[in-house]
Amino acid sequence: MRDAFRIRFQAMGGDGEFMIAAVDETQARRLAQAAIDEVRRIEHKYSRYREDSIVSRLNAAAGGPAVECDEETLQLLDYADTLYGASGGRFDITSGVLRRAWDFRVPRVPSSDELAPLLALVGWPEVERRGARVRLPRAGMQIDFGGFGKEYAADRAGALLSGRGLRHGYVNLAGDLRVVGPRPDGSAWAIGIQHPRQPGALVASLPMYAGGLATSGDYERGFDLDGRRWCHILDARSGMPVSAWQSVSVRAPLAVAAGTLSTIAMLLEDEALPFLESSGHDYLAIDRHGTLHQRAFPGPPAGGEATRRPPAATPHPTPT
Amino acid sequence: MAATEAARLPGSALLAAALALPGVQPASADSAPDQRSVSFRYLDYLDRQPGRDRVRIKAPTVHALAPLGSDWSVSGSLVSDAISGASPAYHSSALTRLRDKRQAGELSLTRYLADGTVSVGAGYSTEADYVSRGLTVQGSLSSDDRNTTWHAGLAVNRDAINPVTGAVSGERKRVADLLFGVTRVLSSNDVLRLDASASRARGYLSDPYKLFDERPRERRSTRLLLRWNHHLPSLDGTLRLHWRAFRDDWGVRAHTLGLEWVQPWRWGLSLTPQLRLHTQSAARFYVDAQPGPSVPLPPPDALHSSFDHRLSAFGARTWGLKLAKTLGPEWTVDVKLEHYEQRAAWRIGGRGSPGLEPFQARSWQVGLTRVF
Repeated sequence: MRDAFRIRFQAMGGDGEFMIAAVDETQARRLAQAAIDEVRRIEHKYSRYREDSIVSRLNAAAGGPAVECDEETLQLLDYADTLYGASGGRFDITSGVLRRAWDFRVPRVPSSDELAPLLALVGWPEVERRGARVRLPRAGMQIDFGGFGKEYAADRAGALLSGRGLRHGYVNLAGDLRVVGPRPDGSAWAIGIQHPRQPGALVASLPMYAGGLATSGDYERGFDLDGRRWCHILDARSGMPVSAWQSVSVRAPLAVAAGTLSTIAMLLEDEALPFLESSGHDYLAIDRHGTLHQRAFPGPPAGGEATRRPPAATPHPTPT
Repeated sequence: MAATEAARLPGSALLAAALALPGVQPASADSAPDQRSVSFRYLDYLDRQPGRDRVRIKAPTVHALAPLGSDWSVSGSLVSDAISGASPAYHSSALTRLRDKRQAGELSLTRYLADGTVSVGAGYSTEADYVSRGLTVQGSLSSDDRNTTWHAGLAVNRDAINPVTGAVSGERKRVADLLFGVTRVLSSNDVLRLDASASRARGYLSDPYKLFDERPRERRSTRLLLRWNHHLPSLDGTLRLHWRAFRDDWGVRAHTLGLEWVQPWRWGLSLTPQLRLHTQSAARFYVDAQPGPSVPLPPPDALHSSFDHRLSAFGARTWGLKLAKTLGPEWTVDVKLEHYEQRAAWRIGGRGSPGLEPFQARSWQVGLTRVF
């Protein structure tokens, strides 16, 4: 019988973890290294902080010439277009400029005068694309893939491991999971979902055999002021934080689908439940009053298995 | 470039869009089969020349494949050939009766690794006058994106030959084959495969039942095989094209072009028409037939000679049709008909060997496969 080895690493601004069933740790590490390399490749290619990344080159050319993009980037842009459509313009990969007004380390709500010039730079429909050439039409416009890059990396790493013969294990990038296959004995991995108001506590434990699981929540970054929570998940149309949900978790075949479904559900506020139902995937949503809404997920943690091994179920960066 | 607010996409559209992202789904190298399969085939072959049936072969075959755990598979086959009829002692003349039975078996074991496969196999075949033993080792290695797979294989055979005519006895034949190949997925509809192989045969390579058949004791040959499978989504059919080039140090140069169209139909039926064109030059020591009834003789100073029409210069055409039908989730039945015709005049790029009768063969085969 194979054992499962846990391999930790740092990537994409958070904790990464692979659980890999292998005959020995050497084999597990060798497999993990290829997957870590893939995660780092995506991190570098789409980093906002590296001047040579495709994202930096697109942003630097805003208002200027079009930039030739490779196939992978074009496909990510296609996906971003779908997200814009599915969220009615709330999920917009050009909304990163709003970060200049929102600093969640300080409990201060920016004025509408501060937001207005930034909102003028938000506008995915204005991004021009001719074949492989992409152009941001106004100087100061920015795109970034922070809204789903980590989940995409988790899927790529999971697919790579699976292609190399891994049957039992998962990829966990700061709480975004891609499960390649069940435990070596065929049973499910029990994945804990963090309680949005009680750090370290679990609100549920979800059995995962394969596929993606991701959570978006208001608890990771944000501040409390005047009796409400101001979180980092911003509606791209208004530039203001959403407040209907404390957290939304979705289980879908891919981590990238789970992650973007949960983020869009947060953004849709009162329309989230019909949207989640229409997706056909399992979800667990906790509204602003702490009430649980779910489909097909088991209830609060039964203890034992689940509480023993909670992964870092932190929310992922969303379009802020 | 963007969708509009007016037409908000349903949540179900997201997964489909996500699945279109590159590299998010596993692309596996060959993985161990997770089902067993057993198939039974029966072949009936008959060849003839004008006015005379020649060789008839009836051959039932069983083949089985089974997974062993998650990383191994084992496969094996057994075949029993019953050969009867008559074969010419030289050119198309002096048909001599023959009757033989051949029993053959093969067993191979495959290990599936993360990026490839390794398999070893052994085969044994026995006839009244001929025993053959073979060993094979094969491996494949796939690229990370699984779009390219490299293949390599080595096969060795050791045969013992004791013809009933006593023309020779205790003769041996050894053959070694080495193959390298690459398969490349060009698009979701196109797969290309190129194989290059070299073979060296040493020992008794003559046909003891033919007159004045004295071939060299060594034969080196090389083969190139290019296959292209092209799927046409609009017709849901697949074109399979192959071209094979062969040359050896006996002077035989041959080219074969094969064309198949696989057309799935309703009710689980699939129809595959086939066409194959072949052309070859004669071996250097092949002796042409002479007009008139006299028995030919090899040239007086010839070290080697053969009157075997298979070493002559000719062209050949094969027409075939295969019909397959699935019967529920576990069973498939198929029927295949083929007609082969060989004529000197059909040689392409040169003259065919004169004085030979046209040669024809027809075969039919039925098969039943169960996967469970």
